Amino acid sequence: MAVLIDEKTECIVQGITGKQGSFHTKLMLEYGTNIVGGCTPGKGGQDVHGLPVYDTVRECMETHPNATCTSIWVPAAFTKDAVLEAIDAGLKTIVIITERIPIHDMLVIRKKAQEKKVNVLGGNTPGVISPGKAKVGMLPKSAFAGGRIGTVSRSGSITYYLANTLALSGMGASTCVGIGGDPLIGTGYEPILELFEKDPETDAVLLAGEIGGVYEEMASDFIKKMKKPVVGYITGLHAPKGKRMGHAGAIIEGEMGTAESKVFALKEAGASVAAKLSDIPKLLKERGV
Amino acid sequence: MRLYEFEAKILMEKNKIPVPQGILIKTPEEARKAAEDLGKVALKAQALVGGRAKAGGILFADTPEEAEKKAETLLNTKISGYGVHSVLVEEFMDIKKEVYLSVTIDRIRHQPVIIASSEGGIDIEEISKKYPEKVVKYHIAVGEKPDPYVGREIARQIGLKGKALTTVGAVITRMYDLFLKYDGKLLEINPLAVTDAGFFAGDAVFNLDEDALYRHPDLKEMGITVRHELGELTEREKKAQEYGFPYVDLDGYIGVFPGGAGFGIAAVDLIKQFGGEPANFMDSGGGPTVENMERMVGLLMDNPKVTGIFGARFGGISRCDLWAEAVIGYLKKRAGEGKEIKPMIMRMTGHMEKEGQELFENAKKEHPEWFENVKVYGIETPIEDVVKEAVKAAKERRG
Repeated sequence: MAVLIDEKTECIVQGITGKQGSFHTKLMLEYGTNIVGGCTPGKGGQDVHGLPVYDTVRECMETHPNATCTSIWVPAAFTKDAVLEAIDAGLKTIVIITERIPIHDMLVIRKKAQEKKVNVLGGNTPGVISPGKAKVGMLPKSAFAGGRIGTVSRSGSITYYLANTLALSGMGASTCVGIGGDPLIGTGYEPILELFEKDPETDAVLLAGEIGGVYEEMASDFIKKMKKPVVGYITGLHAPKGKRMGHAGAIIEGEMGTAESKVFALKEAGASVAAKLSDIPKLLKERGV
Repeated sequence: MRLYEFEAKILMEKNKIPVPQGILIKTPEEARKAAEDLGKVALKAQALVGGRAKAGGILFADTPEEAEKKAETLLNTKISGYGVHSVLVEEFMDIKKEVYLSVTIDRIRHQPVIIASSEGGIDIEEISKKYPEKVVKYHIAVGEKPDPYVGREIARQIGLKGKALTTVGAVITRMYDLFLKYDGKLLEINPLAVTDAGFFAGDAVFNLDEDALYRHPDLKEMGITVRHELGELTEREKKAQEYGFPYVDLDGYIGVFPGGAGFGIAAVDLIKQFGGEPANFMDSGGGPTVENMERMVGLLMDNPKVTGIFGARFGGISRCDLWAEAVIGYLKKRAGEGKEIKPMIMRMTGHMEKEGQELFENAKKEHPEWFENVKVYGIETPIEDVVKEAVKAAKERRG
């Protein structure tokens, strides 16, 4: 199977009655995602696209005990509550679409997620897709073709271009994972790399990073231990210091978060680093794909 | 987002962290009056950037006349390029010793950390280099509030004794309270000044999480609202902020209309790699309104430095035909007003791509002269070929 989700994974949607939640639930269903229900506090009993709506996640889990994945489409002020509710109810993959979640809330979410061994993608992730099988989030299906490369990225649009580059070169992706563009995210690169390393349907990993924070540097220790080849792509080599580049997390603060530091860390760890998108297929081939 | 020193000190004083007596002034005359009350004073330019002392932003005055003159100097100074609009006039302190204290978030461990050193008064980076053995780091578990003994323990570890230990220990735990209370990213007192009269926060840096500002209505009452990280914005950046889309001015001549933020960062790199100079960063993704699309393209077209625009749309969910309609509508309006249409080299792909392409073709047939420099590629063309062509077009027009 692919990692995190496939066509069998039972998924729920938190914030399913909202404009975004409802719209993307429809697209996810059309793609083949096995969505079993949704939650919006106070709107239990309604239905959205034929799916039952529950007041709480636990209530949803009583009817659908095999659900393992949720996506969160609620405003930032309510995200911490929604994620903790999902963790508490026993869900194992949590996809936070919401962006700009308060940092101190993310600290709490991350701590709880680590204690309960839950993968929390985001805030500000486009989601996760196993092409041809299932998608959770708002990724546009036209970018993705099935294949044997796993991708992991902080940015939504970069995820689409990576997948598009793979598709145009005839390679395709096993699973594409967005870990989120917010400054503090629920899960770093390492747990995703570990899943790809173990996945029999993934031959190599494409890791995209961008300026800001230290997540790419943190990933490098794990990359050193990996048997599968890793190709990196880091953006922001020409970004000015101290300016926030769209994503809340994409900012070079003092000496921290430069693209140079990330490229260096990845190369040190044994990854090949692409200078531009068109170098990616070539580097993957060089690494035996 | 960073608070001004005077704002941070108001919050500290409310939280029982001792600060020197001070008065905020906006004119030289006010500085004179302040000095009449305070005696010998320090005048400190209020700026949202570091390195203020090195940039000449702190002056001293013995008399009210001198304070007036020096305030005038400061109000006409620029700190790292940013204008000074107010000055904090503080009582002069005869400092015997300087201590470093801060609370921040350890971005690797994902935990708050208290950092302290007996060698204050210089940057923490410099302290860490010069006296690594004198920097104490004490992590606090997420969700916990340190008891008073934690402050005393940290004070002990930086070598304090007697009253200094208990006083600084209390300051540390109060700093932590303040940091948590307002969703801090960094709260720094450097130096904590030791004088014969006691301990005072000499300087104060307080960086808040702007994404949590909504839950602090008392800050809004103090006039603290979301602000740009580094002081002043360019005119175009101000406009973009007003309209609600991320935009950063760069030095080049190729306008960037890239779709999402992540690819926007990549587009800036790609333009450089193919020998061009980007004029801006922008996030035009996530299905902007027609109004904002017009503003985005307008901002680039109106920039006199821009000689060509690179555009990309990876729709998929939001429809390409609507995107095309908005771009075409704006260009027609612009051309109709007799304004210049600079070359636009773009790639558009996703949901309803074909319909979007048809709209551009029809527009070209209808007004070949307006759209002769507008090119739109589809999914079969690699994005980097489009970047290259945009660089070439902008360079040619530049001459």
